Amino acid sequence: MKLTIFNGSPRGQESNTKILLDSFLEGFESPENEYKIFYLIENEIIKNVNRFINSPNVILAFPLYTDAMPGIVKDFIEKLGVNKKETVNASVGFMVQSGFPEAYHSRCVERYLIKLSRRMHWNYQGTLVKGGVEGIKNRPGWMNRKLFKNLERMGEIYSQDRRFDPGTIKNLAPSERFSPVKLIFVKFLMKTGLLDSFWNQQLKKNQAYEKRFARPYKE
Amino acid sequence: MRICILNGNPEESRRHFDDYLGELKECLDRSSHQTSLLDLKQKNIEQCRGCFACWVQNPGRCIFKDDMEIVCKEVINSDLLIFASPVIMGFTSALLKKTQDRFIPLILPYIELDQEECHHKKRYHNYPKLGLIMEKEEATDSEDLDIITDIYKRLALNFKSELVLTTTLATTGKELANEIDHL
Repeated sequence: MKLTIFNGSPRGQESNTKILLDSFLEGFESPENEYKIFYLIENEIIKNVNRFINSPNVILAFPLYTDAMPGIVKDFIEKLGVNKKETVNASVGFMVQSGFPEAYHSRCVERYLIKLSRRMHWNYQGTLVKGGVEGIKNRPGWMNRKLFKNLERMGEIYSQDRRFDPGTIKNLAPSERFSPVKLIFVKFLMKTGLLDSFWNQQLKKNQAYEKRFARPYKE
Repeated sequence: MRICILNGNPEESRRHFDDYLGELKECLDRSSHQTSLLDLKQKNIEQCRGCFACWVQNPGRCIFKDDMEIVCKEVINSDLLIFASPVIMGFTSALLKKTQDRFIPLILPYIELDQEECHHKKRYHNYPKLGLIMEKEEATDSEDLDIITDIYKRLALNFKSELVLTTTLATTGKELANEIDHL
């Protein structure tokens, strides 16, 4: 099976989206499978449209930027729209990851992607929605183990059945919104200031902590 | 009221869209609003790279020194911010989206609970109310408009604001200005 992946993260090779994709690909890899990854931020838009046209199986992955797809991903979609006829019947799956922990933040853009697939007459494979991904690189290995295991499993099933497995997708995005119990926990965590320290450490390292509330554009 | 209109029309050839916003601005200014109409296609705007320098290095400012300096300043000092765009492939234009992506210096990195969801904290005391003007494309249906509206409602929540106006070019500039007068 041949698979073409478009990573729509503006962070490109340094993206958390890449980390998720790498894990998915570990499960997908086998002697019969081939894949190629392209980064939309590298600005090869015409080439990327042609790559899409020539691919039977596509995954478009991106981070949630201001409640939707990043500008570069929307740009890519607009260019694909111009070439609608050539992309008909492509099998397309999506991955949307966010810094916010709840899956709920990404549901509107998921609806958009479903509608887009219908508009383009693509064979919609599903959308993996994953929250709480910011800072994933700094976490101890055990914290990511379950995530990576599920992603590998998803890649494995995809390589066998050519579809995004709804069960694994559900496993990966367990918390739609905070449950009452989790809400108490989150409130407590916020009071401790532990969540702020992720940012404060970086601010201090950059000698910018004192300026953290700056309002440079206020008239 | 101080009003900022972001014109997200990417194409010079779609003249009627720009003309519509020009007329709207005239009507608004006549009702003694102070309106700035920013034509995004004439501006130099980089895609946000998610580097978070605007949160942890030089708080409140992007490392790209491009026209977003002007846009951010207009946006945060207005009472009403209107996003205007033709619907392209079921959403507002990439040009407008790219501009919105660069709004993150206007909020803080810190997270708080709002409506029992995680959202970023305010950087500024006041944020403009939001409005949305869309021009339907041939294939645009009510589902598309619902999806776009819902996404902008989410944006409003993250932007410490609310979406107070959603409309299409079917409303004339004069009617719309009248509606804005009554907000």
